[in-house]
Amino acid sequence: MAHVVLKELVKAYGSFKAVNDVSLTVNDGEFVALVGPSGCGKTTTLNLVAGLIPITSGDIVIGDRVVNDLDPKDRDIAMVFQNYALYPQKSVYKNLAFPLQMRKLPRDEIDKKVKEAARVLDMEHLLERKPRELSGGQQQRVALGRALVRDPAVFLMDEPLSNLDAKLRVQMRSEIKRFHQDLKATIIYVTHDQLEAVTMADKMAVMNGGYLQQYDSPAQVFAHPVNMFVASFIGSPAMSLIPLQASTANGNSVLTSAEGWSFELSPRNAQKVARATTRKVVLGARHSTIKLRKSAVAGAIPAKAYTVEPTGDVTFVQAFLSGAIVNVSVPPNIAVAPDEQIWLEFDQERMHLFDGETEMALKAN
Amino acid sequence: MSTTAETAPLALGRRRMRVDGWRWTGRIFLAFMLLYTAVPMIWMLITSIKSGFAAMQFPPQWWPDEPTLASYEKLLDPQNSVGQDFLRFFWNSLFVSTVTTILSVIVAVPAAYAFSRFSFPGRNFLFFAVLLRNMFPAVIFLVPLFILMRLLGLMNTHGSLILTYLTFGLPLAIWLLKGFYDNIPVQLEQAARIDGATRFQAFILIVMPLSTPGIIATAIYSFIGAWNEYIYAYTFLTKNDQLTLPVGIQRFFSENTTDFPGLMAASFMMSVPVVVLFLVLQRYFVRALTEGAVKH
Repeated sequence: MAHVVLKELVKAYGSFKAVNDVSLTVNDGEFVALVGPSGCGKTTTLNLVAGLIPITSGDIVIGDRVVNDLDPKDRDIAMVFQNYALYPQKSVYKNLAFPLQMRKLPRDEIDKKVKEAARVLDMEHLLERKPRELSGGQQQRVALGRALVRDPAVFLMDEPLSNLDAKLRVQMRSEIKRFHQDLKATIIYVTHDQLEAVTMADKMAVMNGGYLQQYDSPAQVFAHPVNMFVASFIGSPAMSLIPLQASTANGNSVLTSAEGWSFELSPRNAQKVARATTRKVVLGARHSTIKLRKSAVAGAIPAKAYTVEPTGDVTFVQAFLSGAIVNVSVPPNIAVAPDEQIWLEFDQERMHLFDGETEMALKAN
Repeated sequence: MSTTAETAPLALGRRRMRVDGWRWTGRIFLAFMLLYTAVPMIWMLITSIKSGFAAMQFPPQWWPDEPTLASYEKLLDPQNSVGQDFLRFFWNSLFVSTVTTILSVIVAVPAAYAFSRFSFPGRNFLFFAVLLRNMFPAVIFLVPLFILMRLLGLMNTHGSLILTYLTFGLPLAIWLLKGFYDNIPVQLEQAARIDGATRFQAFILIVMPLSTPGIIATAIYSFIGAWNEYIYAYTFLTKNDQLTLPVGIQRFFSENTTDFPGLMAASFMMSVPVVVLFLVLQRYFVRALTEGAVKH
């Protein structure tokens, strides 16, 4: 196993930069998820690490080698593709043996390793089958097996679960996580599903528009998103972002809505707002930090319920507030009807404040 | 279709009837097409086993009174002059067609792969330029190519035909194969390269076996094109011992009489290699080989 370092990595297609100045370090044995919406550059970044496309500038270090100009085969990596990319003319056994044959291992050693991988992945009975005779989940396992049979320095995974049905995906998710824990493998995992990233990764790199937005542990990214993009991308349902206006009343800092309501900020939040570049401030709140009241309470803001989505153990209520959609979760025993008048109470301790102009998170000091 | 509307009260029934109506129209059309193609061939076979006299009778003998393989024996007998000529023509055709086929696969495979996988300056222009040749009738190139072959000193050689057939067959071969390579997921090569293969190994070990149907289709196409070609073979070759079958068979027409059974027997034997080639190779067409490679 080895660590991976990306230094000021750039991939440009003409004037368009698919990957823009991305720097990050994946420590030995770490599971890092590259996460972001479609076209954010995460798969391109992975292909750059794999050596499948040439880099425009920057450096890629795997282990202690700069691998910028090395062929994929010389980088000591293994990759699991989104569509599995199994060799259709070869049996499962030969699919698993291929990477070993290419490295000219003796026949009996190949046999031993293939059987071992098959045992680990519980597919010894499938070895003689062709890929087309396997189910989606089995194909996925073979793809995984082909990666781990060789014991590479780094595993690269490009949305390996996105072609599986929902139930299988959850099952394979825990298997890959288990596999990481057992092997202490260095894994770079691309996904557009923030839930996969949050549940599996030691660290997540949130990307957007070719830029690395934030690189930290899922808990940190969740608790302290650096900007509005990360705040809205991580977490489900998304963090509600409400555009407001900062002003001062009676010497106290308040946030005012275009709808007329306002609320007073705590001293710490007032400190944050004071650092905003303009008066425009965006209030961010996760569904679980907002209290829903059925009657007016001091400090609570009036709103109308728009949709109500019961999910069983929690009910999500959506409301319009100051032109933004606000998600609130309530226990299932609280009945809310669409168009019902409700009051929302924000938690000063757990709310996020963003600069309305730069979209960056506001910090107290 | 008023009758179907009356007999079928349910909308579903009516739809079924109409589909059946179309299906029968299709079947009748196909049966007609089959007759249209098969009858001349059957007549060729029947004529080839008649005697020279029986072949000329009117009304025709639908089945010869005295079937004979004399024509075949004559053509395949290296002792007499007809047999010697026929076997020589046959060999010439086989040589020219086989070499054309091999060269055309050797050129078309890497060309098609490059067009499919790489982006290089002038890629689209080149690709359509390759097709441009096929937009003109082959005869247009007869005189220019004749002059060119003379300049190259290839007149009266099989090389002149092989070169010509290559230029005619390659455009479509490349076009056809490119379609095959386009359908082979690029991730398969990427996986192979990560698994330790060089780009070339990935092509040879993974992509080539998967494009077998395309290569075979290309090969058959080139072979048939070269095997049947007449006008260039007629123009470029003048020496008797170099002639290919389509031109050679013409020898059966003489000024006074035409040996129809001999002509038909020769025609039949000429069609045998193509049919055999097709029958042997057709099993490769049956299944899409990339099935199971990637999940969509």
